[in-house]
Amino acid sequence: MVGRLPEALLPAVPGGPGAPAAGAAPPARRRRRPALTPGIVIPAAMLALIVGACFLWPLVYPVPPPVGGSILDASMPPFSPGHILGTDPVGNDILSRILYGGRVSIEVALAVSLIGLLVGGVLGTVAAYRGGMVDTVIMRVLDVLIAFPALVLAVAIAEGLGPSEMHVIWALSFFSIPAFARIARAGTLRLHGQTFMLAARLSGTRTWRILRRHVTPNIMPQLVTFALLGAGVVIILEGALSFLGLGIPAPAPSWGNMIALGQGTLSAQPALVLIPSLFLLATVLSLNLLGDALRKRWSVR
Amino acid sequence: MAAEAGPAPAGRAVLGSPGLRLSGRRLLAAIPVLWGVTFLTFVLMNLLPGNAAQELLGANATPADVRALELKLHLNEPFWTRYWHWLSGVLHGDLGASLTSGQPVTSILAQRLPVSFELMIYAFCLSVLLAVPVAAAAAHRPGGWADRLSMMVSMAGLSIAPYVLALLLIFIFAVRLQVLPAIGFVPLGQSVVGNIKSLTLPALAIGLPLACFYTRLLRADMVEQMQGEDYVVTARAKGVAPWQVLIRHAMRNSMFGFLTVLGLNLGTLIGALVIIEPIFALPGIGQVLLQSIHDRDIVVVEAVVLVFALIVVLANLLTDLLYALLDPRIRYGRPAA
Amino acid sequence: MRFWSKTTKSARLGVSAGLLALALAATACGSSGGTSASSGASATPHAGGSLTVLEDSGYEGAWPAGLDPATNTSGAADQSYMDSIYGQLFELGSHGKIIPDMATGYAFSNGGKTVTIHIRPGMKFTDGTPFNAQAVVWNIQRDLKSPCTCKPTWPVSSVTAQGTDTVVINLKMVFAPIISSFIDSTANWIASPTALKKMGEKQFALTPVGAGPFIVVSDTLSSVLVLKRNPNYWQKGRPYLDKLTFKSVGGDEAAYEALLAGEAQVYENMSTPALLKQAAQHFTVVNQLSTSPYDLQLNTAIPPFNNIKAREAIYYATDIQPIVSHIFDNLYPLTQSFTAPGGICYQPKVPGYRTYDLAKAKALVKQLGGLTVNLGTINILVAKETTQALQTEWAKAGIKTTISSYDLGPLIQQFTGKKWQAMVQTAGAYDPAAGVGVGFRFSSLSPFSGVHDPRLDSLLNQASGTLDMSTRCKLYDQAAAYISQQAYGPFYFSFAPANIAAKGVIGPGLTSPLSSVVVTPNVPWEDVSNSGGSTG
Repeated sequence: MVGRLPEALLPAVPGGPGAPAAGAAPPARRRRRPALTPGIVIPAAMLALIVGACFLWPLVYPVPPPVGGSILDASMPPFSPGHILGTDPVGNDILSRILYGGRVSIEVALAVSLIGLLVGGVLGTVAAYRGGMVDTVIMRVLDVLIAFPALVLAVAIAEGLGPSEMHVIWALSFFSIPAFARIARAGTLRLHGQTFMLAARLSGTRTWRILRRHVTPNIMPQLVTFALLGAGVVIILEGALSFLGLGIPAPAPSWGNMIALGQGTLSAQPALVLIPSLFLLATVLSLNLLGDALRKRWSVR
Repeated sequence: MAAEAGPAPAGRAVLGSPGLRLSGRRLLAAIPVLWGVTFLTFVLMNLLPGNAAQELLGANATPADVRALELKLHLNEPFWTRYWHWLSGVLHGDLGASLTSGQPVTSILAQRLPVSFELMIYAFCLSVLLAVPVAAAAAHRPGGWADRLSMMVSMAGLSIAPYVLALLLIFIFAVRLQVLPAIGFVPLGQSVVGNIKSLTLPALAIGLPLACFYTRLLRADMVEQMQGEDYVVTARAKGVAPWQVLIRHAMRNSMFGFLTVLGLNLGTLIGALVIIEPIFALPGIGQVLLQSIHDRDIVVVEAVVLVFALIVVLANLLTDLLYALLDPRIRYGRPAA
Repeated sequence: MRFWSKTTKSARLGVSAGLLALALAATACGSSGGTSASSGASATPHAGGSLTVLEDSGYEGAWPAGLDPATNTSGAADQSYMDSIYGQLFELGSHGKIIPDMATGYAFSNGGKTVTIHIRPGMKFTDGTPFNAQAVVWNIQRDLKSPCTCKPTWPVSSVTAQGTDTVVINLKMVFAPIISSFIDSTANWIASPTALKKMGEKQFALTPVGAGPFIVVSDTLSSVLVLKRNPNYWQKGRPYLDKLTFKSVGGDEAAYEALLAGEAQVYENMSTPALLKQAAQHFTVVNQLSTSPYDLQLNTAIPPFNNIKAREAIYYATDIQPIVSHIFDNLYPLTQSFTAPGGICYQPKVPGYRTYDLAKAKALVKQLGGLTVNLGTINILVAKETTQALQTEWAKAGIKTTISSYDLGPLIQQFTGKKWQAMVQTAGAYDPAAGVGVGFRFSSLSPFSGVHDPRLDSLLNQASGTLDMSTRCKLYDQAAAYISQQAYGPFYFSFAPANIAAKGVIGPGLTSPLSSVVVTPNVPWEDVSNSGGSTG
């Protein structure tokens, strides 16, 4: 199983239990903590507010449409009547674009992170656990994906299939899967040498049980941290694709492509970049604060 | 599952079998990876609509013109023939000539790669040098002012698109403060100081967001270490100062995860180059890659992809070697449990 | 839009071929030799100094195929470099006037089937070899044979030299705009045959040798081109500059900031109106004299625009004034024809033109039972904004529009695929018969045209074959009226991008407007001087 390369030569798990000191620590000795601390509630609330606003506000309270604005309303400043955040150079209401754009960006970030987490996580864990041929094949394929320049693929997809939200998700997932797989694999390998793992296997526990009961909780913290941080990066990456003409096609908004579009007139109209960037900052911030708080709560010890 | 080798004499530690065997094995394993990358690229480029002859001659070319150029560029041959043609060329050390300009690929690379390399390395160093101390300061006292401050700043840094950051940096440092150049590249040969100055803003534009990312990751790892580990409690009980524990142990262990992530990010650096280089008017490889894809210049695209795949593979190899260096257990091998 | 330089160069020459079929006699106007080569600048130029010019990496700032006239596929976009290295046989002055430069004059004979061009005597390439009629003939023949679609497609039967200073071109049929066409064609740039033969084509494209005002010092394709003064340039006292550097930069914003930081002194062809307003506070901003109005092309071969009612509905549903005010800052005059202030036969108003009338538009759409349109354009910001604005306006009349934007390659494919319905483009040139003239967009022979109408073809051919300028202009008036009557496509406004220059830089196109050649003007760099501070 795990005999191909000496375990000692493989990357160790980042952080988490499984210290270099002697012996291993058995997992699952949870300390009783209050279920909801302010550290969890506040970022969760902020997140809920943002996500809720993007998906629900237009349904409940009428906002002008994000596209098809009249040119006569172009470039109105914030706090203009009917346009609390102002309008863009073609007359579209900026708040509306933020809300609808937020939907797209959040969807993309969520989809790419989940796909990466699930597919990549499983691939990496299985590869590390099974070892041997399975591990080699999976890792080599993932290596190819990691070494492959994202740009070529993005252009290929955009020019061959046409830019769209789905294609953006595919293109970005293509590169998030190997990332998660590597981290999951590294984490699983680190655990492999632990005494408790050996004990579990010797006692005849089934593989899936082991993976679920012992491996997953131990590697989840790193994966989740990475996913939360990655979510913000994904949104920026989508914007970079838009910058090159490969992302969500205009005039449909996304935070990423609003920033990419706005950078062309940064000196003249900085608000076009500033406003979506602030929303992005708020989302990324609350995601990460929440992640930190959750990990603290779940931390095994 | 455990390593077969017992503890090796200290002198032969890294140079001994495991390290060398590892490198050898990894290099061998790299070959199918490199092949896979170039093959995949070839497939993708061929799937794209149009070809180099059409792009060069434009829409008004008569079919006869296009056919003639296709013949000249060997574009009419079947897929496998062309792939083999390219591959055998590469195996003989000939990377071919650009379909668009006729320039030998090696001279294009020689002219452009060094600029991009320098930029990548500079950005990389900046990101690591910024991330490690800041993460350490933050992890030292979780919830303290250093932690909170670094949290706000790194979140902000993560949320700024690199191309926006680039423009902001130019505005602050080149336009207002006038301490660094806005555009242009000064070759090393011409002036070392000028060279570093001309790359500082671009490197910051790429490196700062990365540094924020790494800071957050590292800090999380280190805090886990400090809070969760037996050895930490033991060390503190023995009277070891918290800083020492942090540096000697927590950071060391966090390095593994850190290195994994560093290796992963190399591929995305190329994408950053494509956007950042034109903003600073740097004559690097990023713009060449993008233009070549648009021109369907397969020869140039393949060469650039190959070079970068090679870098990623080598970087990952280096990472693995560094693991060996960092973890004595890896170096010496663990005794069977 | 300046990007059209790329497509137009290759395609328009094919169109000229179509016009030849019915072309008549040659023009007799505008020949005699001249000395000076450009419209003058107001302040006193200052000899010496250096200049750094920025170009947008997306268009002018790309020269991936090298700088050999016969093979440079982006030659139309690279006019600045080519003119600096090779000089020009003929130059474009204001309002469509042709000015001789390295040629001293021309004359037609033999009913217009023979063109005699006089070459300025005593000029030398920078490698010392003589710039004479033989060299010009060698170049033109080479250009004609080149497989590049940047080649001239004139109906040449022979090109010969008579003596050392005269070139005789015999045409298979009369082609009136031939001299005007020089401005847009590769034949305007004469390379040193000796250097070409010695270096070979590949090397020459990287380090070209011409007889122009500047000599190549170093060339990094699509990034940096460094030039130095040619001390043996034919025009004494020119160029003013000792050193001229072109740098490719990513986008208007980045270029603007570089200018603010003092690292370059000129940026060519800025098209972001919001930035132009800002730039005017610190720099000299010059709006060029446009020769190519924005227009909307309608594909009359397929539905929905094979029906004149649909085309009329578009005319009535379009209110162009707010678009010009809000997107383009009111910088450009409206026009109803393919002529513009920078060219000949300028006619902004066409009798019977259908102007904005929402009620009529709605009625027509109702009659049609609804109207759905696919609207496309090139992938640059202001073009995209224009289509978005149009989409909204047309929606008020009940027209459903989907918009797309394309990079140059895919855009060309849209046209050749023939399924496009409506495209926002530019049309017209300094001479409607040359370059991206009318035929490019309206002749039945052009792949980029949406119109196939023999009556229009005949009007255009008559106009290009006529000698007398006033007759030509009357014919173009008729053509514009016919296009309007048939509702083949509305015209919007005369667009020409602006150049930005730091204080102290003086020159045509930088401190005084020039007529654009193909949307963008050719700045004669030999007449530019810089008395302000500069970075090399």
